[in-house]
Amino acid sequence: MPKLNLFDIQGFVARGYTFPCASYLLVEILDHQAGREFVRRVTGRVTNAEPWDNKPPSTLNIGFTWKGLRKLGLPDATLLSFPDEFYQGMRARNRILGDIGRNGPENWEPVWKEDIHVWLAVYAESAQELARRCDEMKRFMQETGGARLLYTQPAAAVRIDGEPTTKEHFGYTDGFGNPDYEGVERDTIPGQGKLTPDGKWAPLATGEFILGYPDEARELPACPVPYLLGINGTYMAYRKLHQNVASFREYLAEKGKQYHGGADKLAAKFVGRWQDGTPLELSPDRADPKLVQDQSRNTNFVYGQDPGGARCPIGSHIRRANPRDAFGFNGELVNRRRIMRRGMPYGEYTPEDQPARDQDDHGIVFMSLGASLFRQFEFVQQQWISYGNDARLGSDKDLLVGCHSDGRDKFVVQGTADPGNMPFICGGLPDFVELRGGEYFFLPSLTALRLIADGAVDPR
Amino acid sequence: MTNINGKAYAMNAVTPMKAWKTPILRLLFFLLGVFKSRQKGLIDLSFIHFARWVIVKNNQFPRLAPEQPEEQLHYDYLLFFSNFNGTWNEYIDAFSAVLSSGLDLIWRWSEKFPGAVPVTAFKRYISLVQFDTDYYYTAYPYATTNDVKAAIRVDDALQEFANDSPRLTPEQFQQAYLDLLVKVQADIGALGPAPMGT
Amino acid sequence: MANQNGKMYGLTILSPIIDDPKIKVSHDSALRMFLQNMPRHSHSPFANVSGTHICRLVVMDDVVFVGSPAKEEHLKSKYLVFNSNLYGGLDAYLEEMAGKIPDVVDNIWSHCVGYPGAADPKAFAAYMKKCQIETTFFFADVNDKTVEQTLRALQTKVEFTAFIEQNQGRSPAQLQREFAAFWERVRRLPLPPAGARELGTGQAAGA
Repeated sequence: MPKLNLFDIQGFVARGYTFPCASYLLVEILDHQAGREFVRRVTGRVTNAEPWDNKPPSTLNIGFTWKGLRKLGLPDATLLSFPDEFYQGMRARNRILGDIGRNGPENWEPVWKEDIHVWLAVYAESAQELARRCDEMKRFMQETGGARLLYTQPAAAVRIDGEPTTKEHFGYTDGFGNPDYEGVERDTIPGQGKLTPDGKWAPLATGEFILGYPDEARELPACPVPYLLGINGTYMAYRKLHQNVASFREYLAEKGKQYHGGADKLAAKFVGRWQDGTPLELSPDRADPKLVQDQSRNTNFVYGQDPGGARCPIGSHIRRANPRDAFGFNGELVNRRRIMRRGMPYGEYTPEDQPARDQDDHGIVFMSLGASLFRQFEFVQQQWISYGNDARLGSDKDLLVGCHSDGRDKFVVQGTADPGNMPFICGGLPDFVELRGGEYFFLPSLTALRLIADGAVDPR
Repeated sequence: MTNINGKAYAMNAVTPMKAWKTPILRLLFFLLGVFKSRQKGLIDLSFIHFARWVIVKNNQFPRLAPEQPEEQLHYDYLLFFSNFNGTWNEYIDAFSAVLSSGLDLIWRWSEKFPGAVPVTAFKRYISLVQFDTDYYYTAYPYATTNDVKAAIRVDDALQEFANDSPRLTPEQFQQAYLDLLVKVQADIGALGPAPMGT
Repeated sequence: MANQNGKMYGLTILSPIIDDPKIKVSHDSALRMFLQNMPRHSHSPFANVSGTHICRLVVMDDVVFVGSPAKEEHLKSKYLVFNSNLYGGLDAYLEEMAGKIPDVVDNIWSHCVGYPGAADPKAFAAYMKKCQIETTFFFADVNDKTVEQTLRALQTKVEFTAFIEQNQGRSPAQLQREFAAFWERVRRLPLPPAGARELGTGQAAGA
């Protein structure tokens, strides 16, 4: 399998950056000619995926909506060769994604009603560096007259006692389990790839995450024309998820009192990991910091020995989002449904001992990358998060991010006859998370960016 | 969209087969019926309520009156009718991913079948040979086959429990009830609406 | 017997549709229009044919040309496909169709060659058997429950799920009392109607 062209792939696509702060800029293109000049300037500063000898103080990456590509003057034949879901955009697909009720587009932030054309992502080591790069982008917009800043979404690692952590606002340590795929020059972490017939882990086919490489179906993924526009690029689902921290803490406290295992264990049952990241499947009774630190173990598990969910509930968040071998067939039904996450929290963290309010502005900027929005992100969101038939859970939804419309949804903690691990039902689920807006973006390669900037996209 | 009723999708497909290949396919179906273990994959996927394959030989199309013209066909035809849960794409993706050898064994005798892998050409072929349902009835549109099986398990467990439990002391009852919960705990998902068929 | 799987019978009927060049609206068009407007869900005529788990009606216009080097050929008649997954025996089922929903049967099969009418159920059954094609392979995920048993089980599942949630944490004596009351009530619930769009929650929605 060919080596990945890391000089051509955007850095954000190939790796998860670890910086303490970030800003996502939502931008409108004003004019196709000046817009292309803007893209040219930005392209000159975009971070690619080549390995760093010295970590730069900041990075820059870019993505486009379908409307953005049209505004930049790409030919009709090219525009028509993009997938339906990308053309329609996340807002129009809301019923497919279960984004209704409180999560419906009518409740989104106002910026999402505008025509968003470009997404810029700046990650930085410090607030000053972040401001400097964002100012640079604003300068490009002004100087070219080709673009207008619609909205800046700041994001930052949750700080506890002044130190950046990988926790999110409900208190869970995040960032485990991103898929391994071929061609990335880092050691595969057992549990992140796909299962082999002899029960080991192997990287997934690159084409599941980056266009232009063979995928798990043993063909090249569908790609826009011309081919050069698509290869080394990928699609992104971007979602701003507000978190109702008060509701979550109240619910956990209330049910935690009723649950014989206590609140900490119940919190672990919701997600499938203890709040420190210890997987329930490997350590059902207690958090285990040593396990969490051990990369060879912290995501190295399967559910085959736990079909009844007595260790890790069948409907827990990580088991829903990545069922591994839980559907049989050695996990093959899951290999084409993996999502590459790049999320970042936003807003002030409310420490555990401080009172929380639902209206406090904090949550997570959720980003998911993959070669097919329809087959990967949309599928998981629709079939495994907002529904449960594949897991034999009927129409029960994910506790954490599911849209619990009328307060009658429930989460079942499966157990055994052992009084320390009895079955328990968490009913009357409130909405812990609210969608405030989102969109689909295409993240082109550096070559494709230059084609766009030059107006040289030719669909043959 | 008359292919869909609640959570069930009615797929119809017709493919031509050279007449000499038909007996081979019949034999394969016969063996599939005899060696039930070969059906395991189909059962484990748990998407399908009922499905059938029907071979219609070129001279077997029913003719009920002399004024009805006699068919003069070169090929035999394989009809396929499936009642499945989930979307068209999910269904075909799953079959292509884990049952491709079984699908190939059944459809390789049909003209121009490209193979169940890779999936894109396979989906194109299915679109070519699929024809739409005019009227679709199911006695339980709101139930997937998983829902039905779960319901049967819960019902059976409950019947047994209800028969035994009146004679128990409260403490014994509590224990028996706990055992019952453990038995049915993976079968009590809600019976609500299905996602859109995209 | 390839049509049989456990107690389920896979009935496949191909009825040739009358081809009459003299009429204004062709039989296949009229049939399609009738099927399009036929009542659905619990009002479906098939909800009255007790063995019917899942069935469909499809007007098959023609066979398919899959592309060279396959040869192009065409059917001389269109066929109405009636495909039913039914519990029980074939003769009883066909006779029930003619007996319970004769008007609908007439409206459908009067467009087909050689249809004798629904007045004589046995004649109707004989006609349908002339149109029957043997199912070569019949897969049934659940092959041993009547429609009524299936609907009851679904209703019980929903009711019991609500009971479990509502009675979590009760004392043993109280739980036993509540369960006895529940079982009394659930056994007397009316059978959910066949074909209904939703199960309906009975009294489970209440406290």
